[in-house]
Amino acid sequence: MAAKPTRRVVLAAAAMLPLAAVSGCDGPDVLAAPPSPAPDVAVLRGAIAAEQLMITRYTTVLHQAGAAAGSGGSLAGALQPLLAEHRAHLAQLRSRLIVPAGSKASPATPHERPPAPVPSGASASVAFLRTAEQDAATTMLERLHGASSSLAQLFASIGASEATHVPVLDAAAAQVAR
Amino acid sequence: MSSHVRPAPGTIRALQTALTAEHAAVYGYGVAGAYLTGSAQATAATSDWLAHQEARDHLEAVLRSLGAQPAAAAVAYQLPAPVRNPSEAVALAVVLEERITTAYLGLVALSNDSIRDYGALQVRASALRAAAWRGGTVAFPGMTSVALARPRKQS
Repeated sequence: MAAKPTRRVVLAAAAMLPLAAVSGCDGPDVLAAPPSPAPDVAVLRGAIAAEQLMITRYTTVLHQAGAAAGSGGSLAGALQPLLAEHRAHLAQLRSRLIVPAGSKASPATPHERPPAPVPSGASASVAFLRTAEQDAATTMLERLHGASSSLAQLFASIGASEATHVPVLDAAAAQVAR
Repeated sequence: MSSHVRPAPGTIRALQTALTAEHAAVYGYGVAGAYLTGSAQATAATSDWLAHQEARDHLEAVLRSLGAQPAAAAVAYQLPAPVRNPSEAVALAVVLEERITTAYLGLVALSNDSIRDYGALQVRASALRAAAWRGGTVAFPGMTSVALARPRKQS
């Protein structure tokens, strides 16, 4: 994602041009090394990566449910709204990511190990999503310290949303078990 | 939350806002609970009512520890809509929790880590209660449309 110049980055670069042109000797050294992204950028990229992973997991489970007979329809009905909320989370997080043009790349903290694959079977996959939601909600709270006020509020709200997904998945698991 | 540290600007105001919301919730659940008597929801209403009393007491203690006088509860509160039956009582519980969630996001905006953490835990707790009463989840508990659409600052 960092390697691909987005429309937002291009616009940010255009906005910075006049400042660079008039900076002269007293202003910032436009030939100096590019600035490092603010601390919020790194934590935001981590949150974006986590949401992307969650969306992939839901999409995989829904694909499996669609392929399976029986409870697939009701399971999809329970999971689709949660997936839609994760997509909304991702869109909102991405809207907060504004990287100054020319700044050094600061990729999201890489996963220490590859994410666990989604298990097959409705019961196991719903349990997997439940654990993933719990972990995501906890991790979101860990991002609060040091974040700007507005970003901390967004993280807290998204973490709370993910926490509310757990009871929904509990109900879905009970439905699958019948 | 230290009792000997001068709070950052806005801290007392945010804590008082959360406390005021808790006072209103304690009152509101008293009203809602009266219409849920005998139902399975009555147990939930009682549990939530007690949770709000506990949070209210905690906020009052924090405010006192910071040298502030906690805001007092009003004798009565204007309800957002009439409550005449169980359905309207449930709707009131949803509104109360949504307002509480927004109030606690005010604590999350503060720079003090312990207050921020407490606020976030309360945001989660109220979002869970709201979802239970509503029978559904939302993507951004407590966030106003203005906050979600706010102009972004350059990093």
